[in-house]
Amino acid sequence: MKLEVRNIRKTFGEKEILKGINFEVESGKALGLLGRNGAGKTTTIRILMDVFHANSGDILLDGEKFDPRKVMIGYLPEERGLYPKRKVLEQMVYLARLRGVDKKTATENSIKWLKRLEVEEYATKDLETLSKGNQQKVQLASTLVSDPEIIILDEPFSGLDPVNSQILKDVVNELIEVGKIVIFSSHQMSYVEEFCRDIVIINHGEIILSGNLLEIKKEYGKSQLVVSSVDGDLSKLRNFIEDSLSDIVEVTGVNKTDVIVKLLEGKTRMEFFGAISDRAAKERIEIEHFETYKPSLNDIFVERVGEEELHEKEENANGGEDNE
Amino acid sequence: MSRLFTVIDFELKSYTKNKSFMITTIIMVVLLFAGSFLPRLVDMSSVTGVKTDTLIGADLSDEEDGGEGDTENKDDVDHYMYYDESGMFESADDTAKLFEEIGLFTKVENKDDLKKAVEDDLCKGAFVIKDDLHYEYLVNNSSMNDSTQMMFEMVLQNIHKQNYIASHGLDASSFMEEYEAACEGEVTILGKDQSENFWYCYILVIVIFMLIIMYGVMIATSVTNEKSNRSIEVLVTSIDAKYLLFGKVIAGTLAVVVQAGSILAAALIGYGINRDAWGNKLDMILHIPTEVVITFAVFGIGGFLFYAFAYGAVGALVSKTEDINKVAGTVQMVIMIVYFVVLLNLSNPGNMIMKVFSFLPISSYSAMFVRIAMGTVTMPEIIISAVILYISTFFMGWLAAKIYRMGTLRYGNPIKITKAIKSALSKD
Repeated sequence: MKLEVRNIRKTFGEKEILKGINFEVESGKALGLLGRNGAGKTTTIRILMDVFHANSGDILLDGEKFDPRKVMIGYLPEERGLYPKRKVLEQMVYLARLRGVDKKTATENSIKWLKRLEVEEYATKDLETLSKGNQQKVQLASTLVSDPEIIILDEPFSGLDPVNSQILKDVVNELIEVGKIVIFSSHQMSYVEEFCRDIVIINHGEIILSGNLLEIKKEYGKSQLVVSSVDGDLSKLRNFIEDSLSDIVEVTGVNKTDVIVKLLEGKTRMEFFGAISDRAAKERIEIEHFETYKPSLNDIFVERVGEEELHEKEENANGGEDNE
Repeated sequence: MSRLFTVIDFELKSYTKNKSFMITTIIMVVLLFAGSFLPRLVDMSSVTGVKTDTLIGADLSDEEDGGEGDTENKDDVDHYMYYDESGMFESADDTAKLFEEIGLFTKVENKDDLKKAVEDDLCKGAFVIKDDLHYEYLVNNSSMNDSTQMMFEMVLQNIHKQNYIASHGLDASSFMEEYEAACEGEVTILGKDQSENFWYCYILVIVIFMLIIMYGVMIATSVTNEKSNRSIEVLVTSIDAKYLLFGKVIAGTLAVVVQAGSILAAALIGYGINRDAWGNKLDMILHIPTEVVITFAVFGIGGFLFYAFAYGAVGALVSKTEDINKVAGTVQMVIMIVYFVVLLNLSNPGNMIMKVFSFLPISSYSAMFVRIAMGTVTMPEIIISAVILYISTFFMGWLAAKIYRMGTLRYGNPIKITKAIKSALSKD
């Protein structure tokens, strides 16, 4: 099963919210939909779920027009909500039956998922009597009760403590293993890194980065290296690189243990290794290790979104000057 | 379609599991049904005109204690005094007999004693009889409902008539026979007897008005609750919004039919069983012809559905239940206008306003029902009105579902009805 989103555009009034969103995801894989608040992630998901209609673009499932009511979908919306004054099991069965599951299967599935999420003792309790975390787990169980082929989770970890987050992580991994399509929207990059093979970063309604996460990381780390010294004095090391190796690399950042550098255009790793060995000895700096930089998704996100923001600011400033 | 039944089933449970709904219904049914047996258990002959013992078997103890009963009756009789200034009454006993319908009359010898007796509250009132056409009525505090004077005058007039007959040598019995000869006539009602139908029509018009207002707000609240508890996003992505709204409205209508129907049935069946015991005294309210009940059900359900859909749409326009009244005003205003117009024209169901109202879907549920029960209306008119009502109800349901779908994720300030209709009908 392959779900494709092609060039989706959406405006609310005069404001263009989505400016051509494209991505695809296959069975047994998870796609991470990332972006800052207001970037357009939830709007994209709502269009996928036919809550909103797109102004243009197509959504295809195995090449055919996608109708969310004809495919079993489990949708966990960002705006959580069930019936506070109804019994947990009763409303789970109801939601499954709305999706066309027969009563017996709906009841069996409900109990199965309540057990899996460790909240089966609340099956006959009113939802409002449960803690927020348990309500969140009931909501997730309701999402999965119809045994969906496609699972869309919008910020699934918000409101969960570390123990419950671990349970949810395990559940999501199991779903991926059994061949479900998982679309995952979150601000918590560490979770996205754990589940998602592919990512899409949306900023101001546009995709600014998409593709296989490993390749993206590789590409980002390709011309960057991390360097550390034996004495652990990062400011001394940084000053040394900036003063003595500026003809080969530029410093792009410092993390807890390393200085991160980027090769200047036309320079190679071999040139850098040779230069740092010679010049560090002269400055009496003992290099502990250097290796290829492996950026976290968070680093990539911050850098990419930051670049976009800066670019936009510059454009706006130039526009302003032109107007003047 | 089975999903629609799933929604109806789920929504109906929210009524049946509501304790106040169930308790109110059960209490009303039990009270009305048991209450209808009251005249069989308690002597209500003063109200019904039917003695309890004639209904549940003769009670001999009553006969044995008959003397005591008479004594009690004597105590209940009003006491009056009179002073015969004219001297026209020969004996006090004969005089008392003449006035026994009014009360117990005691003679005094002068006006001053009479006045004192009234002031001392020894009697309810007193009369100074001057002749057979003139008298003076003495009373301590004059009550608004005092009919003594009127009854006294009637007796005095009869005495005057008899005196006249006697003084002119006429035969009293033949004179009175001719003088009071009664006309005999038969009434053939070709249409409806309004005096017979008025009260139950009046009550049923109020009942349907109350049901629409009460349950309409409950349906609107149910829709708004799904927005405020944020469950609506999951719902509209699981099933077509029109099934959700139709399910809610149909469930609300079923709840009304069950509650109002069982209460009405308890009252009608109970009264039907005990009608004789009530001496037919409640016929004007509870002896409703079957065709009127059927008409009430057909037009009542149609009208209820029409407004229930409108309330459902109204519920989708707001995010908080406390805001419902801000947008429900227009719907409530229409219902109120219809209610007052129909009530004011209840005794004149054939006028132009009622004719027009009986075909408008906003008012036919009430106006056509009244015309059928109290006026003259042809079968084609009834069918046309019912068809207009049900087609309009279906259209209202379709529009309400569009508004409901449009209002799904619009939180914040209440949406104006005109804007909502415009947005709902646009293709975007």
